Order: sequence, then C-alpha cells, then structure tokens
Amino acid sequence: MKSLYPEIEKPNRSGMFRVSDLHQVYWEESGNPAGKPVIFVHGGPGAGTNPRQRRFFDPTKYRIVLFDQRGCGQSTPNGSLEDNTTWHLVADMEAIRTHLGIEKWQVFGGSWGSTLSLAYAQTHPERVTELVLRGIFLARKAECNWLNQGNGTSAFYPDAWEGYLGHIPETERHDLARAYYRRLTSEDPKVQADAARAWALWGAHVWTLLRDEAAIAKAHDDPTALATARIDCHYVVNGCFLESDSALLEGVKRIRHIPATIIQGRYDVGCPMENAWALHRAWPEAELKIVPDAGHSAFEPGTAHELVDATDRYAK
Amino acid sequence: MRYGHRPMESSANQAPRRTFYPEIEPYQTGRLKVSNTHEIYWEVSGNPQGKPAVFVHGGPGGGTEPKQRRFFDPKKYRIVLFDQRGCGKSTPHASLEDNSTWHLVADMEALRSHLGIDKWQVFGGSWGSTLALAYAQTHPERVTELVLRGIFLLRKWEIDWFYQHGTSAIYPDAWEDYLAPIPENERHDMVHAYYKRLTSPDPKVQAEAAKAWSVWEGRTSCLIPNEELISKSAGDTFAIAFARIECHYFVNNGFFEPGKGLLDRVDRIRHIPGTIVQGRYDVVCPMESAWALHRAWPEADLRIAQDAGHSAFEPGILHELIEATDRYAK
Repeated sequence: MKSLYPEIEKPNRSGMFRVSDLHQVYWEESGNPAGKPVIFVHGGPGAGTNPRQRRFFDPTKYRIVLFDQRGCGQSTPNGSLEDNTTWHLVADMEAIRTHLGIEKWQVFGGSWGSTLSLAYAQTHPERVTELVLRGIFLARKAECNWLNQGNGTSAFYPDAWEGYLGHIPETERHDLARAYYRRLTSEDPKVQADAARAWALWGAHVWTLLRDEAAIAKAHDDPTALATARIDCHYVVNGCFLESDSALLEGVKRIRHIPATIIQGRYDVGCPMENAWALHRAWPEAELKIVPDAGHSAFEPGTAHELVDATDRYAK
Repeated sequence: MRYGHRPMESSANQAPRRTFYPEIEPYQTGRLKVSNTHEIYWEVSGNPQGKPAVFVHGGPGGGTEPKQRRFFDPKKYRIVLFDQRGCGKSTPHASLEDNSTWHLVADMEALRSHLGIDKWQVFGGSWGSTLALAYAQTHPERVTELVLRGIFLLRKWEIDWFYQHGTSAIYPDAWEDYLAPIPENERHDMVHAYYKRLTSPDPKVQAEAAKAWSVWEGRTSCLIPNEELISKSAGDTFAIAFARIECHYFVNNGFFEPGKGLLDRVDRIRHIPGTIVQGRYDVVCPMESAWALHRAWPEADLRIAQDAGHSAFEPGILHELIEATDRYAK
C-alpha cells in the first residue's frame, strides 16, 4: 500500500494574489519547480488548505500548487461571502495559473474540491492534463438534502444528527441549510459562532470512517469554523451557483477526452457513492476506484493509497 | 461495563475481540406441528441444565444455521434454535399461508411450553430483533433478557430505505442488479413489483425474482462484501423462501396495526435487561432505528460497533453479542 510522501515543511514560494478589489487569495508552490504542474483544490467550500495536502504528490516529479479559495484559510477577507461563487473561484484558478506561468496542470480535488475541479475543467478543458477526483459531490439538490436535511447521512449518525438538528427550532426544520444560513449571517457574533460550532460538529462526526476524537474536539473550539461554515452554507443555499441540477453531469461531454481517475470510499456517508457512480455512468472513460473500507476523508489508508497511486501513474 | 444512558462505541483498534464458541451439535432436535399446514424445526444444544436462550433468526425467511449456536457459552446455556414458518427445515417450504408475525409469536410460545421452559433469553438480529421485540412485548413475563442486533422496527421508511432509496446511494452498483428485473414503469414501488413476481404462478418468474431480491441483501449485509454470504443468497432453495416470506411480510407492514408498532409498546419491556448491538455502517437496517429504540428505552445498553455493517458475523458485532450473552450468563 502506498502512503503519503514525506512532509514538506515549507513551500518553495508562496504569496497573496489579488483577484478582485476585495479578495486576495493565498497560494503556494512546493516540490520540483521544473516538475509537472498540479493544482490541489480543497474542499468545503471554505475549508482552506493544510500542509498535509502537499503530500499526495511525488515532490521530485511534481510542481505542487495549493491555494486557499476566497474567504478561507489564509485568503482575505476571512469569511467573506461577497463576490464568492463557483465562477469566481474558477476564474481565480485561471488567474493563478497565468500568474505562475503554467500552461496546463493536473487538477486534483476531493469532496467540494471534486465539484470545483469539474466546474473548472468543463470551463477550461484545454488547461487540464488529468483529473484526480475523490469523494464525488455534484452539488445536486438531492445530495445537499442527503447530508444537510436528514435524507441519508442522519440515518447513519442519528446521535450526531441530534446536535445538528437540535440547534434549529422545529418551525425552521423544513429547510435546515437556510436556517443555518440565517444564523451564520446574523448580526450577532454569538449566534454566528454557535451555529458554526454545530455545523462543524456535524461534519467532524460524519467525514471519517472511524471516530476521529481530535477532529471532534477541534470542532468544539475552532477559530476557522465560522469562515468554513459560512462559505459552505452560502454555496449550499445557492445550489453552488450551477445553472442546473445536472450541470456537472451534462458538462462531462466537454472533458471526456481528459485522462481521469475517480476515487470513492464505499462508506462515504456524506457524499455517497451514488454520486461517483452517476459520474462513472456519464463518463465511462474515467477510471473508477472504489475503496471498500473507507469513508469520505482523503487520508484514510485505502483512499490515500489510491490517490497517491493515481498521481504516481500520471507522473510517468 | 456500563449499562444504559451513554452508548458504548468500539472499533478494531481497541482490546482483543471475542469470537465464536466452538462448533457444537444439538443434543435434541424435533418438529413441532403448529397448525394444520405448518411444522417447524427446532433443536437444542449446549447444557440441558443451563440457562435457556432462544435464537430468533432474520429475514423473515432466513432460517437458522449451525453457526448461530455459537453465540452462547455451551456450558452455561441451553441453546434453542428454530426455523420460522416456511423456511429452513420447516415445512411447507416458502409457504405464505398463515404466516404472520403473530403466528410466529404464538409458535415461540408453543415451542417454549413444548420444551418445558419457564422463561428464556431472547436473542435476535435484523428481522430477528423485530420478532424478538414483538414476542417480548406480547409475553414480557417469559423473557429474562433481550439481546438485539441490527435493529429493524419495520416502519415504512425502513422498508423504503432498503428497497426504494437509501441503501442504493451506498451500493449503486449492486442496486442496478436489483432494479434490472423490474421494468421502469413499476419501479416507483419496488416491493410490490417484486411481490407480484414472487407470487407468480410461473416458477421461473418466481425464481428469478427471488434470486435478485436475495442477492441485493447478501451484497449489502457486510462491511466488506462476503462471497460466501452472497453465494448462499443466490442459492435457489434459500432464495425462494427468503424472498417470498420477506416480501410477504413487507407488503403487509409486518402485520403491525397502525399505532401499535414496536416503538409504541416499548413500555411493556422496559424492565427487562436488554442489550442493543448496532453496526455504524449497517446499510440494511441503519442505526437510526437502534437510536430510536435507545431513546424510547434508555435503560437498555446500546453498543455501537463503529467498523461494522449489518451481519451478526462482523467481528465488532460478534464481539459485542458474545460479551452480552456472557454477562447475562453470570
């Protein structure tokens, strides 16, 4: 089994790039400056990157670019929802690519990162050498309801669900994402923070196969939770700014020729395999790898193996 | 050890796990005539002077298998297994006549009297948990303890979850094979579409539907698919009883009257010591039901095996089940 490449303590270079009057995004480059370019697209939306994500790529072969999407991680202003849509992020990726003088790159993303990777590739297919996608999320209404409205994930995590549901009074429970959105965008910082904590705790329970005590403890008191929850919820209530529910499946026709690997944990109860399967049926040319003993996280052993194995193969 | 209130969660990276007691043969077997039509097979193993326990199998229609004797310490337990109406070695095979939850509850009482047992531990998983609860709620004075696994309360949404949409999201590949025998215009109600075929006059139609129905459950019952279980599910004799009887119970909502479901009558059994064992990744009977039972019956001891699916033979589940029967044997 393959595991992550060694830690890379410091990127070769990093910076803040102004993408609008308001927003600046953080970017960084590590690995081999003359290597094959790859961009890591983080999840959430709103989760930001972390140094571990440099380790999916052979640093002797790849020029590894990470960036924090608008409003999260080290990007500023933190938690801002203004001019923050899928299409702004797609444009930002293009701006970063040009800024770094990269002609084409591999696009690697999981969860919301798979959504944004698909949106980017379908908009700029000529800029993508390969796609490596994990824990597929196609941003369809039913997928959001599965996770956030009690249509699926709650059946596996009824204990954690009580906390997420309990935060919202009964009269507002017919649309939980919107009820959370109202609180996350409240004038009152305490209302915002309490909602962000409940939102983060729900995620901390469901995103790993086995219970991750550290993630759960962190969610109780996480300074980044507010930005993450605000951005995540903003995208959910806006249908991720796609023109239709099936936009990303329909857009497969524009990327069918790009070599691609889809990696899916069988017990991903947040972004269930149904999504990966729908993508596979629409795009049979892409390679589908099902990890039988994994949930959603990119760092579970079987999933990390498949991800590293995919980037290794594409580096040859 | 902790009873009630705070559920216990476990996974493989904790403490060594318990496993099956050794293989054992019954010291007594028989057939009990329970109606003009039906005869049921029963067997007893373990210690004839031991604490009585009855194993209630799943499905309905699954029948028993020798492995199921091995959840109990044979030195301490008098272990009773029986095949419910129409399945296993009970006859007539796959019969739906006079076959309902309340017939099976009455059969358990008849068998208990026949064996001269005053009270017994009732142990059941999946549909076995449903029947165990229905039996205990009807005859609470006959039950010393309840050991329940992979909780199935036979509510409409649970049937929809497995046969219409829910499990399909986790097993979309296996789902395609379950959908395949049913034409698109009947797919809005898969259980009825299957029922029509499983009760068809044409044995070939019955057999094909039975196999697809049964294999769907076989492929989704273990965390990591188990080829032995899948091939057992596909066996003609097994599948025909399993699929026909299950589907018959499900189109009839388990023969529960509205407002008299298993959660409505928990008060009748709250004084009985109980253990609820649930796999976190049980996609057949998802944890929502175990949790609802736990909320209605907080005195029962809820044990969650984090790295397990539905099957009783999942290592984490097996561990908790044997721990439970051991504790109750003390």
